[in-house]
Amino acid sequence: MKKLTDTLFTNPWLELAARLCLGLVFVYASIHKILDPGSFARIIYGYGLFPAWSINLTAIVLPYVELMAGLCLMAGIVPRSAAVLVEILLLAFIVAISINLIRGHEFDCGCFSFQQDSNAAAGKELLLRDMLWFAVGIVAVFSRSRRKFSLMK
Amino acid sequence: MTKIVRDMVLIVGFSALVGLGVNALSPAGISLVGEWDVSKGVVSPNSKSQPVSRDIEIGTVAEAYALFKEKSVVFVDARDEAAFRQGHIEGAVHLFVYDYNTTFPSFMARFPLDQPIVAYCSGRTCEDSHTLARYLKEDGYTDVRVFVDGYPAWEREGLPVEKTD
Repeated sequence: MKKLTDTLFTNPWLELAARLCLGLVFVYASIHKILDPGSFARIIYGYGLFPAWSINLTAIVLPYVELMAGLCLMAGIVPRSAAVLVEILLLAFIVAISINLIRGHEFDCGCFSFQQDSNAAAGKELLLRDMLWFAVGIVAVFSRSRRKFSLMK
Repeated sequence: MTKIVRDMVLIVGFSALVGLGVNALSPAGISLVGEWDVSKGVVSPNSKSQPVSRDIEIGTVAEAYALFKEKSVVFVDARDEAAFRQGHIEGAVHLFVYDYNTTFPSFMARFPLDQPIVAYCSGRTCEDSHTLARYLKEDGYTDVRVFVDGYPAWEREGLPVEKTD
């Protein structure tokens, strides 16, 4: 076990792979939201968790936070801080999705596209996906290895 | 630790500046605060291209039914084919909002531009009725309103509906 964690947190290639994958996912996920903030605002409203005044502001700002954090991760600009930020976002998504799954509130996550339908199975799948990315993010946060291809530590 | 917090504040702050800037300039931009109070009417992000017009909204089922009884008013249904088939307001004309360009010519041939029209979809969380009303106005119709509670409320009140088999 010790050996496994040592490899996970000391192998520079694993650190790079974690950053690139997570960064790419965040950049990719931000694009459709940036192109259509109105639809994204509607998705946030659909979660039924946020006060009315915050919905549009979140729809305007959050996609750019995802984009910038993703780009920082990929380019290795303050990589650890970007990884912590991405983990905070993922944790927030996990909490929001879990609350809605528990109370049986149907919603469209709006993660990668704006879909017409939504259901609980999709909600669980996406919860698992976010948890998986969260695990990948842990490597990027706690890696002790020298960070390869990193522009600005 | 403080470095991480400082970096994160910088990333979020920079993102907020870029986001707000792009939103202000982009034609797809939205208002800083949307219309999300269902008690006021149809909810909407209030985007630049799709502003909500509260003044054309019919806020109660009773008011919509009063117009229905006038007979001179035509109801148009913005929902898709399946929803329309399952049930619609009696006598309503189907004008699926995402198929507007193909169905509009026959609508225009049937109804003069001063025809009073009431558009509806599936309630206050559905903006399609407003979109349809806007299209109709852009095409020259002068008296277009939106019944905000749409088909579900109409059906719930036991008002005249019909189905297409």
